Order: sequence, then C-alpha cells, then structure tokens
Amino acid sequence: MAKITENTRIEVKEIVIAFFAEECETDKSLITDKTNIIKDLDGDSLMFLELIEIFKKKYNLDIELKTIGKYAVKHPVETIGQLIEMQMLIIEHENRLLELDK
Amino acid sequence: MADKRTAFIFPAFIADYRDDPSGSIPRFSLVFKSLLARAAGFADNGLAGFHRDSNPMTGDELRNQYLSYVYSCACSDVLSVHGAKPSMIAGYSMGIYAALYTAGSISFETGLLFIRSAYESMRRILPGMQYGMGAVIGLSENDILGIFQDSGFSLSIVNRNSWHSFIVSGESPQLEAFMLKAREEGALSAKTLGVSVPYHTGLLKDAASELSGTVAGEELNDPQIPLISLLTRQVITDAQAARNEVIRNIFNPLDWFSTQIEMHRSGILTFTECGPSRALLKNSKFIPGAGKFVIWSSLAKNLPLP
Repeated sequence: MAKITENTRIEVKEIVIAFFAEECETDKSLITDKTNIIKDLDGDSLMFLELIEIFKKKYNLDIELKTIGKYAVKHPVETIGQLIEMQMLIIEHENRLLELDK
Repeated sequence: MADKRTAFIFPAFIADYRDDPSGSIPRFSLVFKSLLARAAGFADNGLAGFHRDSNPMTGDELRNQYLSYVYSCACSDVLSVHGAKPSMIAGYSMGIYAALYTAGSISFETGLLFIRSAYESMRRILPGMQYGMGAVIGLSENDILGIFQDSGFSLSIVNRNSWHSFIVSGESPQLEAFMLKAREEGALSAKTLGVSVPYHTGLLKDAASELSGTVAGEELNDPQIPLISLLTRQVITDAQAARNEVIRNIFNPLDWFSTQIEMHRSGILTFTECGPSRALLKNSKFIPGAGKFVIWSSLAKNLPLP
C-alpha cells in the first residue's frame, strides 16, 4: 500500500488538469474540481483509459483495468474532483481497491 | 510522387462533427459540396438537405455511410490537390469504399452503389430480428470471450482496436445483455453503437453473396496505391483482389490493431485520418510504437497549394 502525501495529491491534480486541458483544448484555469468531464469537457472513456495508463506508469502501479472498472460501476466518476479522488485511491490501494467496499 | 512513409486511413461512420477540422481548409467546402451534389443526384436526393449543424443525419445509418464516404473522398481530393500522395491506404470497416476511390480503383458513383447495395442486401437478409454492434473498452479479448461462453451469447468480436478496445456484433437483445455484463465484469465503458446491422459477422454471408453480383457488374481498376486488408493484412494491388475484399469485408472480422502495426512494420511512419473525427487518432495512443497519427487537415496545411 503506497503512502499518500499532500505532495502526491498536488501532483495528481496537476497531471489530471494538464491532461484534460491538452486533450480537450481548454485553458487549465477553466478546469476545477467541479468541472463535469463529459458535459463540460467532452471527455470520453478512452481519455480515462489513457490517464490510467499514465498513472500506472508514473507510480509503477500493480492494478488491473477491470478492477478499476468494477470499482467505477459502484462509484461513478462525473467530475474532475471525483476523478482525482479515484486516482488517489488507485495509487494507494492498487489491486486491493475493491476491498474498500467490503 | 508517393510519400513512402505516409498512409491515408478512411473511417467507417461519422459519430459527430465536434472535432471536424474542415473549416480550416478553405478549398474543402467547395469540393465537399460538389461531391455531395453528385451523391444526392446518384444515390439519395435527401442528402441535399445535409447540414453539419442543423441536419447532420448521423442517426440515419445509410445516409451516415454515404456522408462519411463523401467526406472522406473530399479529404482525399483536397489532399491530392495539395500534392499529398500516400504510399498505402486502409479503409476501416465501411471506409473501404473511400480507400478504393482514393486508389483510383472505383469511380465516386461506384462507391455509392456499393454502399447502397451492401446495406440493402444486409437489411434484406435479416428481416424481423434486431441486430447491432457495441464498443467495449477496458476488458481483454479473453474476458469478453469468457462472458460470451458463461452467458451463452452467440455474439462475435468483430474488431480489435487495441489490447483493451473491441467491437462486438450480433443480435440486439444479447448485445444489450452483454453490455450490462461487461460493465459488471469491469469494462470501463460498454456502449452500443447506432447501427442496426451486425457488420463483419458470418450472419451476413448471404448478403455478401448478393453484393458480389453488384460488384461483378462494375468496373474496378487495379488500385494505384496499395490497399492493406484489415481482414488478412495482405496488400492488395489488383482489381480481382479488391473485388474479393469488398465482398469479404462484410462478413469477416477486422483487426485494426494488427493492421496498424503491420503498416508501421512495412515502413509507414505517419497515418493520416481522412474523416471529420479523431477516433482513430485517439485509438492510436493505445498501439504503442506504431507510428504517428495526424488528422488530414494538418497534412493539407503543411503542403501549400502548388
């Protein structure tokens, strides 16, 4: 289980916002925790997949995509803030993510 | 002279025009309108009512295919005027007709005829039942096949876009049940596509037989630009092989993932998506080390008019 620090949170947030700003050709300053990924940014599941791959590589994560998918069914992500929270949980719990629901 | 490192890729359908870059290429509008008028006169005069914003016709399956074809042919013509000539082409699913037009193998009107004949044949041999296709992201091929087996679904995987992105085809009730199951099993996304035909499945073998009559009656030239098969990865350079590909394309599964890798292996460095969206460009991010994808307008911008 990885130790999450305040720096990790800041780093994750920066990566997520920079990613969507580039992908969706939007100014970073317009993306906040409350920004809706689909309605406001035209985001899609391929972007979500790409972001997961970025974090898997960056933090050397051991997690299967379908573990994230199963978690997302119970905890749907709509906003940037929710996505950041989920990424934090993925980094912290990796393949034990589903144990959070037990 | 062909750019030995560049391929043109032609998409199948138009989901929307959100990413349409054509406004940045002034000549495109003129060429598109001219081809649209020909398509309206030859295939369906309702196409004359097309408007990208107010009447995009994306929900009409056959018109969507016509419009995707018209758009792709217009891209191809515009790029040709700019002096761009690829060394290889590929048609993603029903994008095969625009690929053959670009290769000089068929006339614009013959492409329209093939689209109509294929669609009408497919609809005719599947009366009464509802069919469709769906896109699944986040599961592996074995995961998907496991769901088919465990649930007794007689569905087919008809295209692999990447290791984690697949297209599934078959009867609608099973397809919808599969989509729910796929989400439960951890798919990041599982959505049906807006089509009513199970493209690229064996269910369409009889339709392909009907289409073969139309194809046999039309003139096809040897492709002047090699066409790679999404079915076999073989490179097609003669008219008879092109005819066979048009017919077999309907009822055989595709493998886009392997096709892009094979094209890259054969020396293609840049893939140019000739359509209004960036779907294939987005997908290419999940095919590691298999070349660079660009949209057609960026190529046109980099090649000023002679």
